[in-house]
Amino acid sequence: MTAVVVSSVTKIFNQGRTDEVAALSDVDLEVRDGEFVSLIGPSGCGKSTLLRLIADLIEPSTGTVTVAGQGAAKARKEQAYGIAFQQAGLFEWRTVLRNVELPLELRGLSKRERKARAEQMLALVGLEDFAGHYPAQLSGGMQQRVAIARALAVQPPLLLMDEPFGALDEMTRERLQSELLGICAKTNTSTVFVTHSISEAVFLSDRVVVMSARPGRITASIEIDLPSRDDAGRQSPAYFDKITEVRQALRGTPASAPSPRSSESAAAGTDAR
Amino acid sequence: MKRALYVLLGLAVAAALWEGYKVVGNPEGTVLFGVRILPRADDLSMPHLWTVLERLGRPELTGGRPVWIVVAQACLFTLGITAAGFVIGALVGLLLAVAMERFRVVERGLLPYVILSQTVPLVALAPLVAGWGGTIMPPWAVVSVIAAYLAFFPVAVGMLRGLQSPSASGVELMRSYAAGWWRTLVKLRFPSALPYLFPALRLAGAAAVVGAVVGEISTGTRGGVGRLIIEYSREATSDPAKVYTAMLGAALLGLVVAGLVSLLELPLMRHRRHVEVATL
Repeated sequence: MTAVVVSSVTKIFNQGRTDEVAALSDVDLEVRDGEFVSLIGPSGCGKSTLLRLIADLIEPSTGTVTVAGQGAAKARKEQAYGIAFQQAGLFEWRTVLRNVELPLELRGLSKRERKARAEQMLALVGLEDFAGHYPAQLSGGMQQRVAIARALAVQPPLLLMDEPFGALDEMTRERLQSELLGICAKTNTSTVFVTHSISEAVFLSDRVVVMSARPGRITASIEIDLPSRDDAGRQSPAYFDKITEVRQALRGTPASAPSPRSSESAAAGTDAR
Repeated sequence: MKRALYVLLGLAVAAALWEGYKVVGNPEGTVLFGVRILPRADDLSMPHLWTVLERLGRPELTGGRPVWIVVAQACLFTLGITAAGFVIGALVGLLLAVAMERFRVVERGLLPYVILSQTVPLVALAPLVAGWGGTIMPPWAVVSVIAAYLAFFPVAVGMLRGLQSPSASGVELMRSYAAGWWRTLVKLRFPSALPYLFPALRLAGAAAVVGAVVGEISTGTRGGVGRLIIEYSREATSDPAKVYTAMLGAALLGLVVAGLVSLLELPLMRHRRHVEVATL
């Protein structure tokens, strides 16, 4: 089964008013089971809007969104996905453990089940020793890991992430990227990942979907196949070639086969944000 | 320990100011161009502190009970009225805040009247409410209603602010968990509102004391410290220290209420205490 199907979706905010904005125009997207898809594009291209549509936090003006074979609204009610935002958004009055327990609480799991599952998730993100801490006691990177653990707590088949590492420094960001890949591989979760970092999108994804603004639409869909997803992968020619390809797609120049020359220039500026 | 010391220091400074002014101040008060800018410092207007303390130990009337017992009992009576008013006011404030948060229309329609309610002078309102005493409720309950009328306001306004404080992403998160309005209220909005609620409750506590004292005076309810202040102030020319004993009682009552309210805060705000950040 396909994890996500978005078909001919249009989203217009404030329809019929003077401040009407066409955020998305005729978008089609399919995410296969277990696939990691990144949405990338300039600000205002509607990538976050698209993510929110999949999450049923907003409704499409026209078109349909299907998550795990059912309507997005039904999927949300069954907690068929986990979500993480740019701000960790932890509840400061709850300990780390109780933050991860929150979605399980709302699902009606027993106290013991909740605790066991939450501890397991904290171990997954390497924070089992901080279960009793309060969010204010943790650094930004640690808070984001708690947020990821919280998103994974219900073991959803789909993970939605809106620039989750956007507020972190480069070192923390790279470490969390590797951790995220490990987790996704272990749990076989499908992921939709919004970012505006080209290198992040290429490193993480099976496929990078490039969007453009006004009106928001998908302009390219680039399959990524790196030899490995580790530090060696970050140095491989395939990685730089794909970075160039995504960059060209973002600029709107036709994505021709990249020459060796262009991959060198990409190597000179890997921080292609 | 350190805090207790500061409290004592504060008392000492206040006492020194009082007695100091009595030493240097003009007994007739300082009058400039026909306007009295500094109060009289004579023993009639400002009795010595020890006179007040000593008055506490002497009987109220010849052969009666000592003043301090009378004042303490009156304070207890008023404390009961204040507590009832505080609880009613806090509950009404909470309900109003929840209703205003839930329905935009209610907020738009009600909030101006909530604010307006506090500009109506209490002394004008009290006699109206006083008529209820003895018919639909006991006389002391009328005073509680007046106290509640003052106490609900800070709670309603503060709590509304608190309920609206969660970030959009927090609300979206709850929506992503398929949590409805009630569960979002319980799991997200209430806990987020606590830092707004406690200062509001402290204000409400102070307002309830004022409401109770003024309510007793303007409805003529017997037994409380408000009534005592009125009774004793009639004897102010012959026995100036006496009225100060009642005022001292009222001030202590306010402190006790403020202390009790802040006790509520301790178990609920544990996460605010430690702030040391771990990095990993």
